[in-house]
Amino acid sequence: MISLDNLTVRFGGVTALDAISAHFTQSISGIIGPNGAGKTTTMNAISGFLDYDGAIAWNDEKIDALNPFKRTRWGLRRSFQKEQIADDLTVLDNLLAITDNLPLSRDEKRAEVEQAIESLAITRLVNRKADSLNAYEKRLTDLGRCIIGKPKIVMLDEPCGGLQQEETDHLGELILKIPTLTQATTLIIDHDVDLISRVCAETLVLDFGKRIAFGETAKVLADPKVKAAYLGVEEVEA
Amino acid sequence: MQITQIMQMTKSAKIGLLFALLAFTFLPVLAGGQWIKIFISTGCFILAASGVAFMYARLGMVSLGQVALMGIGGWVMLRMNHAFDLPFEINLAVAGAVTLVFGWLLAMPALKMRGLYLALITLMAAGGLEVIFSTYRFPNGGEGFWGVMPSVAAPFRRPLVATDDADYLRYIIFAIVVGFLIIELHMRAAPGRAWAMIRRSEAAAYASGVNVVYYKAWAFGLAGFLAGTSGGLLAGGLGLLDPATFRASESIMLFALMVVGGSRGWLGVVIAGVLYRVVPALFNDWTIDADIALVIFGAALLHAIITAPNGLSGQLIDLFGKVGKRT
Repeated sequence: MISLDNLTVRFGGVTALDAISAHFTQSISGIIGPNGAGKTTTMNAISGFLDYDGAIAWNDEKIDALNPFKRTRWGLRRSFQKEQIADDLTVLDNLLAITDNLPLSRDEKRAEVEQAIESLAITRLVNRKADSLNAYEKRLTDLGRCIIGKPKIVMLDEPCGGLQQEETDHLGELILKIPTLTQATTLIIDHDVDLISRVCAETLVLDFGKRIAFGETAKVLADPKVKAAYLGVEEVEA
Repeated sequence: MQITQIMQMTKSAKIGLLFALLAFTFLPVLAGGQWIKIFISTGCFILAASGVAFMYARLGMVSLGQVALMGIGGWVMLRMNHAFDLPFEINLAVAGAVTLVFGWLLAMPALKMRGLYLALITLMAAGGLEVIFSTYRFPNGGEGFWGVMPSVAAPFRRPLVATDDADYLRYIIFAIVVGFLIIELHMRAAPGRAWAMIRRSEAAAYASGVNVVYYKAWAFGLAGFLAGTSGGLLAGGLGLLDPATFRASESIMLFALMVVGGSRGWLGVVIAGVLYRVVPALFNDWTIDADIALVIFGAALLHAIITAPNGLSGQLIDLFGKVGKRT
């Protein structure tokens, strides 16, 4: 379970996140909201990239005192809106770049890398340089980095951004496998409501840095406040 | 599945080793007179350039203090040689280690910086070292901490296996190969991967669990070690050092020529060293004003920036690749 308690982030005079509280109890949960709602800011705060007030915990284990790289070593994994794999490394090296820094034995690291490669069926890619991969293959590599090393929290920031529908569907299937592969609690940000509906059991909705809804995804998406703020129904009907 | 391929020989590595073997065998025989000294000096600057090249290629960090760091290595080497009766290799190791520490010190203010600001800090450090070298000069066997005497210099002890110039040139070529191997081993192991993630973005590095400060300091330390070793080898080659060799402008020149040569492989660094030392010497030999080399370097830099992102070495490799496919 991921717990956010009164999470507040300020950029100068702007309050980007205003006392957000949510307890994600499902294995895969979503965060949605219009542009500028504070979704990525929430992920950056959980990652430790931003200073924040409030508390973040996983299964009652607080991680606020950990700096960003120590959060990764602790078990936090994340992807970014624009994939952040190293172009001049092979896919294998991009995976090893994470295991290098984990407190695992050499054999455990090897096993983790092999498991990630087999789980995502990317054996054919392992020795290819990342700059030769297409957008989907880069996303797969990014996902591989997220499931490696027994993660506790996996956060995916628009994992299907820029992908074809077929690729989005396949990636959605792989995301659904994360809880069985890793036992991690997964958080997803995406504008694709279909993907969120299919993959996330519960969803947090943000608007202008405030929580406007949280709960079972289907109910949240049917909430009039969410439709108004996120889907823009009022404007369309007007 | 083979996870670690650290010891795998690439085609480029095989060609590089063959090139080094040919140079090791024939260069000291073919080069006579002052040219052996010029090639010794060229080799030292190739080793130093390899330090800035890997930092630029793998971390995207611009260091404009490499030649100044060579000066530190050279100073320590001369100081050790004249103060103690230790073997050349011990003195060289101390020179490399002291410069490694200076590399770390240089890294301290730079660890939170990138791009232009980092380059400026390293350049200012090089400027500071230039003043120190000009003021206190290099040890030549005199008394006291600075060890400078006004008249002729005391003799310098070379390695037992390389007392004459020809053997010393072979010694330098061997040192270059070892230096390249150290860099390559880093590239293929955890530090190289961490540096690649830092180059991608610091956020990507943090998301990989990389301690960015630690690995940046490591890179500065390695570049400092290579600079210090090359400075020590240069001291061994010449017997005494001139402060003018280590001016801040020389660090900029070496970096610029590394960009011209290409930073992503051994060939680019070798081209940079040859341009830096051999081309001006050739002009002198042909009684052409050596300053014309600066004009040519400027044109080559423009060419590299506009048309050759991987430098002349990248263009040469592409050319050989095309020729190879046609034949």
